[in-house]
Amino acid sequence: MQGLLPLIPLCPLLGCLALIFGQGLMPRRAVPWVGAGSVGLAALLTGMVGGQFLGGSLEPVTVTLWTWLRSGELGPDFALYLDALSLSMLFIVTGVGFLIHVYSAGFMADDPGSARFFAYMNLFVAAMLILVLADNLVLLYLGWEGVGLCSYLLIGFWYQEPANGAAARKAFVTTRVGDTALALGLFLLFTELRTLDIQPLMEAALNHWTSGDPTASLAALLLLGGAVGKSAQLPLQTWLPDAMAGPTPISALIHAATMVTAGVYLIARMHSLFELAPDVLLLVAVVGSVTLLMAGFSALTQTDIKRILAYSTISQIGYMFLALGVGAWPAAVFHLMTHAYFKALLFLGAGAVIHSYHHEHDIFRMGGLRQRLPVAFWSFVFGSAALMALPFTSGYYSKHEILLAAYAGRGGAWLWAGGLFGAMLTGLYSARLLFVAFFGRANTHASEQLGLSMKLPLFVLCGLSLLGGFWVIPLASVFGETAVVPHPPDGIGLISTFAPLVGIAIAAAFYWQRLYSSDNLMASSLGQPLYRLWFSGWGFDWLYARAFVEPFKWFARINQRDGIDGVYRGIAALARAGHAQASAAQNGRLRWYVASLVSGAVLVVALGAWW
Amino acid sequence: MSAAAIGSAELTALLPIVTLGTTAVVVLLWIAFRRNHAEAVWLTLGGLSATLLALAPAAGTGPRDVTGLLRIDGYALFFIALFCLAAIIVVLLARDYLRERAEQPEEFYLLLLTSLLGASVLAASTHFASFFLGLETLSISLFPLIAYATRDARALEAATKYLVLSGVASGFLLFGMALVYAETGSLAFGGTAPAATAVLQAGAVLILVGVGFKLSFFPFHLWTADVYQGAPAPVTALLATVSKGAVFAVLLRYGVDAPLARLPMSETVLGTLAGASMLIGNLAALAQHNLKRLLAYSSIAHMGYLLLAVIAMQRIGPALAAETLGFYLAAYTLTTLAAFGVMTAMSPADREAEEIGDYAGLFWTRPAIALLLTLSLLSLAGIPLTAGFIGKFYLFIAASHAALWPLLGLFVVGSGLGLYYYLRVIFRMAASVGEGTAPGPSGALQVSLGTEAALAFLGLSIAVLGLLPASLIDFLAAEALR
Repeated sequence: MQGLLPLIPLCPLLGCLALIFGQGLMPRRAVPWVGAGSVGLAALLTGMVGGQFLGGSLEPVTVTLWTWLRSGELGPDFALYLDALSLSMLFIVTGVGFLIHVYSAGFMADDPGSARFFAYMNLFVAAMLILVLADNLVLLYLGWEGVGLCSYLLIGFWYQEPANGAAARKAFVTTRVGDTALALGLFLLFTELRTLDIQPLMEAALNHWTSGDPTASLAALLLLGGAVGKSAQLPLQTWLPDAMAGPTPISALIHAATMVTAGVYLIARMHSLFELAPDVLLLVAVVGSVTLLMAGFSALTQTDIKRILAYSTISQIGYMFLALGVGAWPAAVFHLMTHAYFKALLFLGAGAVIHSYHHEHDIFRMGGLRQRLPVAFWSFVFGSAALMALPFTSGYYSKHEILLAAYAGRGGAWLWAGGLFGAMLTGLYSARLLFVAFFGRANTHASEQLGLSMKLPLFVLCGLSLLGGFWVIPLASVFGETAVVPHPPDGIGLISTFAPLVGIAIAAAFYWQRLYSSDNLMASSLGQPLYRLWFSGWGFDWLYARAFVEPFKWFARINQRDGIDGVYRGIAALARAGHAQASAAQNGRLRWYVASLVSGAVLVVALGAWW
Repeated sequence: MSAAAIGSAELTALLPIVTLGTTAVVVLLWIAFRRNHAEAVWLTLGGLSATLLALAPAAGTGPRDVTGLLRIDGYALFFIALFCLAAIIVVLLARDYLRERAEQPEEFYLLLLTSLLGASVLAASTHFASFFLGLETLSISLFPLIAYATRDARALEAATKYLVLSGVASGFLLFGMALVYAETGSLAFGGTAPAATAVLQAGAVLILVGVGFKLSFFPFHLWTADVYQGAPAPVTALLATVSKGAVFAVLLRYGVDAPLARLPMSETVLGTLAGASMLIGNLAALAQHNLKRLLAYSSIAHMGYLLLAVIAMQRIGPALAAETLGFYLAAYTLTTLAAFGVMTAMSPADREAEEIGDYAGLFWTRPAIALLLTLSLLSLAGIPLTAGFIGKFYLFIAASHAALWPLLGLFVVGSGLGLYYYLRVIFRMAASVGEGTAPGPSGALQVSLGTEAALAFLGLSIAVLGLLPASLIDFLAAEALR
């Protein structure tokens, strides 16, 4: 088993290399086979490794491949670490990743850049696998940056459109802010604890710091900075809605299997450190709750099908942060897993709609797609049900656990109430999407032309969204038994269960039965500014543009004739003048040369005598 | 000075120098009877190889003073080996070069051997007499070598300039020696004087003037570019490597042995010369279009850098200084030979490929040659993974151990300036073919197998010394001057 573990990230990496170097040599038909096949192989290997691991004692396994670099005390190995947590992530990344790749084979069949597309996708998966398998934080950082790079490449995949390039840049720069915080966190941890290997690091932290130690809090805060960047949480969430610029399977990959889960994984992986910093942990929970509410409100107002889903991702990751913040580590990972199923399903379903519907994104121009696009419709029904956490779907179990934990946790009823209201909002915006796009009058032509490679992943994901909640890897070996949450009173559980139904009912009244008109609401004096605020994602883009982008541009403009450049120009001019002087002496006349020699000698003798 | 008797051990120690002298005589006699270019080449190569072989028994006798004039030790033998190696390469280059250009090429090799003899004596010299004799043997052999291709008026001009200026410089040197002798009463380097009088100081400085001319330090550097440009490319290679190296070898030994070189004012004088040479050499090279002149100016700068090792010697000890000097000179010799070797291989029969424009687009027409020149220029610039980088690194370490901060600053500035003009040549070579007029393979000289082998050896050794410097460093550390 240990021998197979390194092959898991290697497969997609080799797939990527084969696609890059085989460009032009490889027949077009072979491209999806290589692209999806490499990830499929990784998924198969994960199944084998996972089966053996779960059949055993769940003891963590470390596979050291080679010493990566050595410099003083810093000596990170190229080592992989497998425990129940990383195995859960492996299943999600390779399993869901594989389904998305299969889907892409159909979705991208006509795109001239499909080899490039699959190469990036494979690299994306490989980077994410390195991230989750890394035994030390330096290797994790490699995967972390690899994921960032690939997201940039994929969001800007259709690079001829300048807007896509801008979206890719935005994602890259915004997550970079978080990455810098993470790097600082690593520096701090290494300076304090002299190691970056995760397990020894956690032990050292427990030995070195008591709960509430300011240094531990600072380190945890810096790691949180990295996590909010990658996971699109407040205040670095602005990149995710724009990241819709890429092809839809990429959105599925970013939202479900890879990128945005990295922040959640990081905090779960470093949970011992966060437990030493209770204030930071509370901050995690607050960030999660505020984000899930804000993103929920924004999702209510969007009309672009993918933007609705994007805000819903931010909101659902907010739930995971909430769970992390109250110390319900297994619940966070559980929700991460179920979210991967249903969010992949929803995005791939959205892709099917867009694919069948002339690249239309606006749900208000759709309508009545129920009959015309049955596969997409049922995908959305199952996916939305899980997203809304209707009972017996996968999302129900995970979100329910989070809400109960929030109630029992340190933040108490406030966090729970936030999560509950969020659950209601989730029901509202999901049902709104469903009713507007798939019910009502059919007003345009659309025909479903999905190949088997696109349908099959949808079917599998439908099954997982429904039933995925029943199968979960026991995480007690990672987080300890104490992480099990005490059960609050029954009424709380019941209220949590019914919250989404309230949302659905409101949505039905507005968008299905049309008892009330949302247009009137939006036109009201209170509704209009709120609508605009929510539609723009609470004006964060506006704020950041005013606070950072424009001052920077202004400074760049007034500094066009860079003062610092003047120094270099001066040096060049000085050198040129010196050259002119030095060459002027070279006039080729022997008498001048002799004179120079003799006067030089006199000068040197004088210098010697004067000294 | 004790007139030590010459026994068999002394003879063994002298064997390399004796072999060189004998080879010169044999070649002289041979060409008196038979004029044949190939035979002269083979005789010379054989003699040089024999000299290299004779180094082993000489090294076996251990450090040994011979006749009070010479000391044969690891330091001297290392330089003799380096010079012989350089001479072998010059012979291989000159063979191709002279075939078309000279009617009677045979004496070239004779003069090469006598110049080598002078250089070897210099490397082993511990006495003003051997110092002066070695220097003059070297210089006088170089005058006709520079003018060897007499068809070219510039070569004659260069030889004349070098002759006259050398004469002036030798006058300073001799006068300095005389003044020192007047005070110390000894011609050995180790002679001591009761007090540091003005006469002694003047003598010491005048010796430095003479040496400074040969090493083309500012302000005695004006001849360098003209002579480099006028001389045939293989002779320039010899001038730039063997001649400079031999004088540096004797300068360091003089610095170690002679108390008067340790006068405080010597450091000031040498420091001034070094700093000015680094700056002026690099500045003069900046916008140079002629590759030969460019290399001449860059050699002024390099000699300035290398002087750091001699200045630092008083503080870091002779062993590290000798190690630094040995490595830097070995790297510089190989690198410079490679540059002039490329120039020789690129030159058509009627002229030399000395303009940078001649090398435009070379990467596309003759990639192997272009690669070698690139490697050589990068090594001169001190880019890592080349021999030149290790040499510069050594110098940097030596100078910082000795706390020569202002000179180190100039060293860094000079290296920065150097990068500009070295890279300019490389960029030119990478330019697309249409942009310049490359002579191309058709106009270029037919390159023989010997030249090709020599160039390949040079390229390889620059890279090997850059990647695995330990091989040479270990040897130098074991054999260094003590």
